Amino acid sequence: MSRGHDGSDAGAGADASAPDAFEEDVLALMPALRRYSRSLARSDSDGDDLLQDCVEKVLTRRRQWRGVNLRAWAFTIMTNLYRNHHRHRARHPEVDYEEGLSLVAEEQGADPLQRRRLERALDRLSPENRAVLMLVVIEGYRYQDVAEMMVIPIGTVMSRLSRARRQLAEAMKDDNVVALRRPK
Amino acid sequence: MTDEFDTVSEDDLHAYVDGQLSQPERERIEAWLEKHPARAQEVREWQTQAAALQEHFAPYARGDEGDRALVSVRRRRNQGGVDSGPTPMFRRIAAGLLIFAAGALAGMYTPGILAPVRSPEMAASPDSLPRQAQSAFLVYASEVRHPVEVGADQQAHLATWLGKRLDYGLKIPDLAALGFSLVGGRLIPVNGTAGAMLMYEDGTGQRLTVLLGRNRDNRETSFRIASQGGSLETFYWIDGEIGYAVTGEVPRSLLQKVADECYRQFEGAEAS
Repeated sequence: MSRGHDGSDAGAGADASAPDAFEEDVLALMPALRRYSRSLARSDSDGDDLLQDCVEKVLTRRRQWRGVNLRAWAFTIMTNLYRNHHRHRARHPEVDYEEGLSLVAEEQGADPLQRRRLERALDRLSPENRAVLMLVVIEGYRYQDVAEMMVIPIGTVMSRLSRARRQLAEAMKDDNVVALRRPK
Repeated sequence: MTDEFDTVSEDDLHAYVDGQLSQPERERIEAWLEKHPARAQEVREWQTQAAALQEHFAPYARGDEGDRALVSVRRRRNQGGVDSGPTPMFRRIAAGLLIFAAGALAGMYTPGILAPVRSPEMAASPDSLPRQAQSAFLVYASEVRHPVEVGADQQAHLATWLGKRLDYGLKIPDLAALGFSLVGGRLIPVNGTAGAMLMYEDGTGQRLTVLLGRNRDNRETSFRIASQGGSLETFYWIDGEIGYAVTGEVPRSLLQKVADECYRQFEGAEAS
């Protein structure tokens, strides 16, 4: 759609290795974007894919950015990618990277079972509820900001947040026993 | 009850948990919670939950070496892609491999052989790549039913798929000359990002794996052996952007030939 518009002047002939100011701003956002992508995703590799897709979109659509609050704009793009992907995925289920996840959990030194419980509980949330929860709890956005980013009324933000919190608490209670292997 | 609930709404309780209230408002909620233990219990649960989530995802809020490449790779692609061809790093790896080849011919695998290609960065760098390669080998090579996600019968798809995830022109090495055929591959987290594992086996079902991962810790080119106590061996090399690790329970001399062959074929793919 907007692709033909891009890359025409992004410094053709300039030093290809020196990032411009916009790219520097994106680089500064990478830690926050990485955390947000992972908080939405089912696994590290899914999170990384989401992050890469988001960065690509941010860079190719840079001319559509209105020049205010790059962070919120990038977060909005990520949220939409996540919602779109989830809709796609509902029709085209993919392989579960459960085994990969446990490898990473061991890497990070935290209690792997506890990490896994939390991940599994999160995976039971709807994408809409999960995104609201993460934007508020992990990223610290105000309710009004979330409403604007997701283009929903603030009342909807509140009801999604409430649902996410209760469902997550329920799921954690249900999942007191961790099945190490899924029954075939 | 209904009356009291009206004085503090559900939204107020969330805003309290999320720190989105003014100080007087906070005090009002706290006073109310003291008289409503059931709701106070729920609020505590939400606070605990929020803290757990923050703790769980906090380690991901970091930049890494790959970020700069990610941003500039997109730009280069957008600009129509100018590639400068093989980097000096490849020549340095090649030099390292020649030393290994010499060692192989002489039947020598002493640590001294490694000295010329060792650098301070290498010595200090975490052994995460070989360790992850060995974990992956131990988990997947013993898997009978589902050792791979995509089998060798879909080799072209496998190369495209994994290559896309790694953002790297992945060519799957052909190890037939060494008696190993492709079983397939899978996506696997390496250094916390998407990596690829390829699995091969010989006529007896002896397996080895080739792991590829984005390298973020070490821009230094290096090539070396890692062993794990018993019979499990790993050869790995790093070219600055991608780390490679070949792992198997096979004699070191054979594994070195495999590593050499993989290096040759990967380099061909990268240079083209």
